[in-house]
Amino acid sequence: MPVFSSSEQAQEVFRTLFEILLEDDVFLFRMTDSNLSLHLVQTKPDVEMFVSPDGVHDGPPPSRATIRIKMSCDTAHSLWKGELLMPMALGTGKVRIKGSVSKVMEFVPILQPAFDRYPEIIAARKIES
Amino acid sequence: MPESSETATYSPTQLPEHLEELRREVREFVDAHVRPSVVDNDRATASEFDWKLVRAGHDRGLFRLVIPKEYGGAGYGVLGVAVALEEIAAACAGTALIFGATMLGQAPVLLSGDPQLQSRFLPMFSGDDPVLACNAVTEELAGCDLLIPENVVHATDVVTARRESDHYVLNGRKRFITNAEVADFGCVYANIEGAPGATGLTAFLVPLGTPGVERGPVADKMGYRACLGSELVFRDVRVPAENMVGGENNGMIISTQQMNMARATVAAISTGVARGAFELAKDWCGQRTQGGAPLYRHQFSARKLAEMTSKIDAARMLYLNAASVADNEVPAPAYEPASAKLFADRVAIDVAEEAMSLMGARGYLLDQGLEKFVRDSLGARIYEGTPEVLALAITEALYADEEDF
Ligand SMILES: Cc1cc2nc3c(=O)[nH]c(=O)nc-3n(C[C@H](O)[C@H](O)[C@H](O)COP(=O)(O)OP(=O)(O)OC[C@H]3O[C@@H](n4cnc5c(N)ncnc54)[C@H](O)[C@@H]3O)c2cc1C
Repeated sequence: MPVFSSSEQAQEVFRTLFEILLEDDVFLFRMTDSNLSLHLVQTKPDVEMFVSPDGVHDGPPPSRATIRIKMSCDTAHSLWKGELLMPMALGTGKVRIKGSVSKVMEFVPILQPAFDRYPEIIAARKIES
Repeated sequence: MPESSETATYSPTQLPEHLEELRREVREFVDAHVRPSVVDNDRATASEFDWKLVRAGHDRGLFRLVIPKEYGGAGYGVLGVAVALEEIAAACAGTALIFGATMLGQAPVLLSGDPQLQSRFLPMFSGDDPVLACNAVTEELAGCDLLIPENVVHATDVVTARRESDHYVLNGRKRFITNAEVADFGCVYANIEGAPGATGLTAFLVPLGTPGVERGPVADKMGYRACLGSELVFRDVRVPAENMVGGENNGMIISTQQMNMARATVAAISTGVARGAFELAKDWCGQRTQGGAPLYRHQFSARKLAEMTSKIDAARMLYLNAASVADNEVPAPAYEPASAKLFADRVAIDVAEEAMSLMGARGYLLDQGLEKFVRDSLGARIYEGTPEVLALAITEALYADEEDF
């Protein structure tokens, strides 16, 4: 059974998560300073969004994002819950990233606020895992 | 220095400006510090390892090309390393591998994505003194079996790791490990005790000064003599659990990613070896007159020279593309690096052999430099994937299912 019952539900959860990240000064500064943008593509159910320093936008990016991440919603859920480690997710191909690897590496350490807040986001929506 | 690579189309002779700049810097280093001692280092004993050359490379930042800037590196990525290694290998493949093996040891730290491991193991490459690293996979009874995922189950007598509270205890012996004799730390692949074959393969970062680690003896190799390949012995070596990369039993995942990063750089070394041999033959065919004309004007020699240079260009294009892909996709794909290495390793052997035929007896002399390229050309076909191992990686990628998430 997939964790998310519909695209709308998953889209709303992950949009909220990235909006929280954009409220974090360190994350916002790094995104702006390094000119980073993120195209997130998730499947089962389908989710697509574009994250730039201006905000989180549903759907594909207006122009090519610096980083494109593809994974299933279940994988995303395990990652943000801290059950799946990023190197393993990448190594096993559960997560695929296109974009400069050095820019990806800049991203990883600044995602902590999302890990901290994800459990409460899904708990508030009564999403079972 | 510029940021690491971008996806681009490369010309075999003209690179983007930031890579041309790197290439010029490495060429200066090679002319000043590598070429003058090529013969000496080829004939030196292990105790005469060329630390002066290593220090010169360290002072120029050549051991930290792949390290991100925030950890004191140059942030060039795999592409920068590959370009640098071609230049060094065009003079001496063994010297290039001192740098290449260090990058291999750094790769798991980068792949770990673990800021704690990165801040412990990366800044040391920007200190006052040179630091070398190594990567320890091969063993007496387990060679290719440790590189082919389906075959790890057949590996026997692999170095073991036993968990004891917050440490792992390593026991066993690795062989043919480049830089082991001179490195500060190594990425060591060990099998979690009790797992069949090497199905419990796990990567550990091991400072080589840890009690119980013994180095040597150094292997007496036919080529790549400037770098030292030796045994590494582990007798109850206690490694903190936080030095594990990627978790228990996940060594094959780390090692595969590491190989996919490294193979493009080995293809660059082979391209450099081919180029070094070709340059000697080209000079000779320009000067040597037989039948009333320089050799290059004879159609048979012209054909050989033309094919040699075309193959070198093709090998370079393949490795530049593979390195660029490795810098722009995580996980680094298997296909491009394996195909670049398979092709370039063959080109090195073919070009060195053709150069030998074009130079006649001069090529066969020890003091002309060509015979060293012939010896070195055979080395890259063994490490980081033999042709058979590469063929399996390539066909696996060819028949892989579409991405299914
Ligand atoms: C210059 C140099 C530097 C090196 N540096 C390092 C280093 O830094 N770290 C390290 O760990 N090792 C290093 N090695 C060792 C190298 O990685 C191994 O030699 C290599 O993996 C092959 O293992 P092997 O020699 O045991 O050969 P084997 O595994 O015994 O293979 C012998 C032959 O059998 C073929 N073969 C094996 N299995 C299969 C199969 N399933 N299908 C078809 N054919 C097969 C191989 O392709 C090869 O042709 C180095 C070697 C050299 C020459």
